[in-house]
Amino acid sequence: MTASTILKPDELELLQEIMNIAFGQAAAELAELIDIFVVLSLPEARVVPTTEVPVLIVNELAGDGPVSMVEQAFWGQFQGSAFLLLPSNSSQELVYLLGNTGIGGAPILPPKELEKETILEVGNILIGACVSKLAELLEDTMSYNPPTAVMECHPSTVFPITSWEPGSTAIVLKTLFRFSGKNVSGFLFLLTSQDSIAWLRRALASFLGRYA
Amino acid sequence: MGRSVLIVDDSNIMRQFIKNALPPELGPALWEARDGAEAVALYETHHPDLVFMDLTMPVMDGVEALTRIMALDPTATVIILTADIQAKSRARVMDLGAAAFARKPPTPDSLMDALAQADQHRREHP
Repeated sequence: MTASTILKPDELELLQEIMNIAFGQAAAELAELIDIFVVLSLPEARVVPTTEVPVLIVNELAGDGPVSMVEQAFWGQFQGSAFLLLPSNSSQELVYLLGNTGIGGAPILPPKELEKETILEVGNILIGACVSKLAELLEDTMSYNPPTAVMECHPSTVFPITSWEPGSTAIVLKTLFRFSGKNVSGFLFLLTSQDSIAWLRRALASFLGRYA
Repeated sequence: MGRSVLIVDDSNIMRQFIKNALPPELGPALWEARDGAEAVALYETHHPDLVFMDLTMPVMDGVEALTRIMALDPTATVIILTADIQAKSRARVMDLGAAAFARKPPTPDSLMDALAQADQHRREHP
């Protein structure tokens, strides 16, 4: 199945706009939490074979250094996984920005555990805000698995491609972000399998009906 | 004759949403730009009464376009219509002279509110 048979160009454009709104919501929630200004890139929606996803991600990440990743699965009628990828130096800077007591005054942890705890919390906030907004706009209700984190991996090995069916196709919805004036940047993206496509097309048509 | 409008957004679909949600007293004179550079050029040529401006766009973003339009015409009425709803984004563009700030997706009610906000802003900052 090719990209063009999965979603038409105007459907992809609409999905991109909806993701723009969802990523904007996520940025606003994080900015409020840690008093920073989040600069977002133009979002992009692409349909790719799942086997190409790791390459796509490696190409998006600047440099070849280790990265940390938060993954959170979500499911409603639209289902998939959301990922937050940060270069490891960004996740260390996040710990500093959030304070050494962690979010919500949690007890001080050993540095590596604190770093993991911090990116889990940040990932949970960004992913939750983004996916919830997406669900609201597409009139869906989402449930979530608890987020999991993988710390300091090479970009080419971090992505769990084995969890996807061979020969399947993924919709990649991504945005790059950075914190203004801080050494923090990252990559937030959603992957959804072709199983959600039929519902997604109906939801996009319904959204168009409400706004067009 | 209603007020003339310039709509600035890189998304064709979003420009259509904005046109569909415009309050009836606006138009029929209407121009569209796909990025900030086009917006500045169209503003210079037509001096529309009202501008709806996105922030995140290729070529020239909305902040730069707003800055240039306000430099060309300090009385310009620019309504920012964006998905970037951070408080600091809002504060920044209002400091630069935007007359109102509204979030996407646009609805007739949200654009009506933004227009009222912009009219109030213009009365307070003639």
